[in-house]
Amino acid sequence: MGSEFALQNIWVGVIVVVVLFAICYGIGYVSGKMTTSEDDFYAAGFKIGPVTNGLSMAATWASLATFLGVIALISKLQVPFVYLWIQWAISIPLLTLLYGTSLRRMKAYTPGTFIKARYGNAATLVVAGWMILIMVMYALGQMIGLGQAFELLFGIPYNIGLIVAGIATVGYITLGGMYGASYNAAFQMVIMTIAMIVPMGAIMKQMGSSGWWFPPLAYGDMVPSMLKVLPTFFDMKYDFRWYFALIPAFTLGPVALPHLAMRVFTSSSVKNARWAVVWFIFFLGLLFSGTYTSGFAGNFFQATTGKVISKPDQTLLILNVFYNPVWVAAFVMGGALAAGLSTVGGNLMAISGLVGNDILTVLAPTMDSKTRVKWGFVALGLGGIIAVLLAFKPPKFLVTSILWAFGLLASTATPGILLGVWWKEANKLALMVSSIICGVIYIVISPHVIPSIVVGKGVTAALGMAGGLVTVPLSFTLFIFLSIIFNRIAGLQSFAPTLKDKQVIDRIHGWGDYDETRYNGLTWPIILAIVCIFITIWGLQPWKF
Amino acid sequence: MKEALYKKELWITIIFTILLLLTGHFASIFILFPSLQGGTMWGFPVQYIVPILMGWFGMMVVCIVMAVVCNKFDDEMEAYAKSQGQDVLTDKSKGGF
Repeated sequence: MGSEFALQNIWVGVIVVVVLFAICYGIGYVSGKMTTSEDDFYAAGFKIGPVTNGLSMAATWASLATFLGVIALISKLQVPFVYLWIQWAISIPLLTLLYGTSLRRMKAYTPGTFIKARYGNAATLVVAGWMILIMVMYALGQMIGLGQAFELLFGIPYNIGLIVAGIATVGYITLGGMYGASYNAAFQMVIMTIAMIVPMGAIMKQMGSSGWWFPPLAYGDMVPSMLKVLPTFFDMKYDFRWYFALIPAFTLGPVALPHLAMRVFTSSSVKNARWAVVWFIFFLGLLFSGTYTSGFAGNFFQATTGKVISKPDQTLLILNVFYNPVWVAAFVMGGALAAGLSTVGGNLMAISGLVGNDILTVLAPTMDSKTRVKWGFVALGLGGIIAVLLAFKPPKFLVTSILWAFGLLASTATPGILLGVWWKEANKLALMVSSIICGVIYIVISPHVIPSIVVGKGVTAALGMAGGLVTVPLSFTLFIFLSIIFNRIAGLQSFAPTLKDKQVIDRIHGWGDYDETRYNGLTWPIILAIVCIFITIWGLQPWKF
Repeated sequence: MKEALYKKELWITIIFTILLLLTGHFASIFILFPSLQGGTMWGFPVQYIVPILMGWFGMMVVCIVMAVVCNKFDDEMEAYAKSQGQDVLTDKSKGGF
């Protein structure tokens, strides 16, 4: 079956990739000329308008998984995975609402900038360390996908495809900084949306759907045929806890993703950041709905033609090779490449910002901003090289762990950011203790490190949903109770929030004065901590699936 | 005025957080209330198409209202700070962190 679904004319693939990279390098080159300061390099001068930023946000979020892994997992889990995927769209609106616009007021480059201003140097090293680990894992997943895409397009060995893709990608991002990453991401989002939607219309027409003119939503007439061949496709399958577990691991994790938050920080104003979020939902909804259609069509194709797709990751390409001309299939792979490029761009810019700005300002506070930007370039390149090197022989769990990493981020960084913005009692030492403890517990109870100690079962555990339902609420609980206790121990006063720390909170919420009682209550944090205890206990109960 | 603005900020945040979670996790409603399952819309089972629509257009509507309400709230905050002769962080501020 493999040869039947390979791209028949390699030169068509070569042309698509060369044109795509030429445009990306052109955008990177022009953008590079606009980059003259730290603000330009890390935040595109805080000048990106709402539509471009909305496109960039959507592109940064839509990774290679949108074209490859999602469709495969819809084939495996069917409709529950569609529900899982829908909720990713909340991430940027929620982070904008809960802390994005507050941090935008302080002109932060990454969430780490806030951690440093609010919690000091030691906590910055802990949280930024977790964030860098997660960004490298994320970039690694994209690099593996890019290598596989090159392998498919050119018929070359994976390792060679990986080196070519890695060098080409890191090169254009380094060239253009955040201006280049933003404008390139906007361009890539247009490409990937066309590549997902238009060819799918042609496929659906050949499958017999009268709704081929709008593939994302108009395939209802195929449902009766689907139910005949695959009656379980629309079944909800799991109980309420499975759906609830999506919130701690997959909603609260991405809320702290630095490369998503940085898209809010690049906005030309706080108000435009909010309008960018509206465009983000529109563009991402269009692309994601196209992905669900592809997942539906992949299942339908197998059930109706009797053909088995042995590599479910390649479902979209296989459908296009089967139903569409070769140049269309090559263009779809170009769309998948664009998805990978935009996400790697965001990942590497986040690593660059975390190292070049947040960590270096801790380790070398006297270093001038120009030297820090140079180190930012170095970190960007190194992040790319490490991701490429790991991708040569990736440990199995790393390949499938992008989703798993979200739960780790939710356990280690999200409570520190959210409570730090909204609660003056949040304590520096409590953040470090809860972040380290819950991060380690999350790693231990997942099936990837010590398989004999695991919470949950199967895919639910492997994706980090079961672990997240335990450690994310535990992290909130520990952070809240430890903050209250530590703030009242005389010997630990050096970790208690200072007046300056508290003033930061009022200032980033837009207040011109300082009020001690604002964002300083105990009742609601304690109620939240108690609720979290019950959720942790619920998460520890045996899982059926 | 100051107290009212503070409470307004908290309520805006709580309400929009709930609305965003609701639109993004609308499938949970069909799990909590199984009797809602079984109907069809545009040829699809409702428990499939409604969460997709809520996660796209429903969330977009929430975000539009959120942008209008939050931007208006920012204007009110700035107007209040100006009336008190205070200096607030805006997009034109240097940050200072």
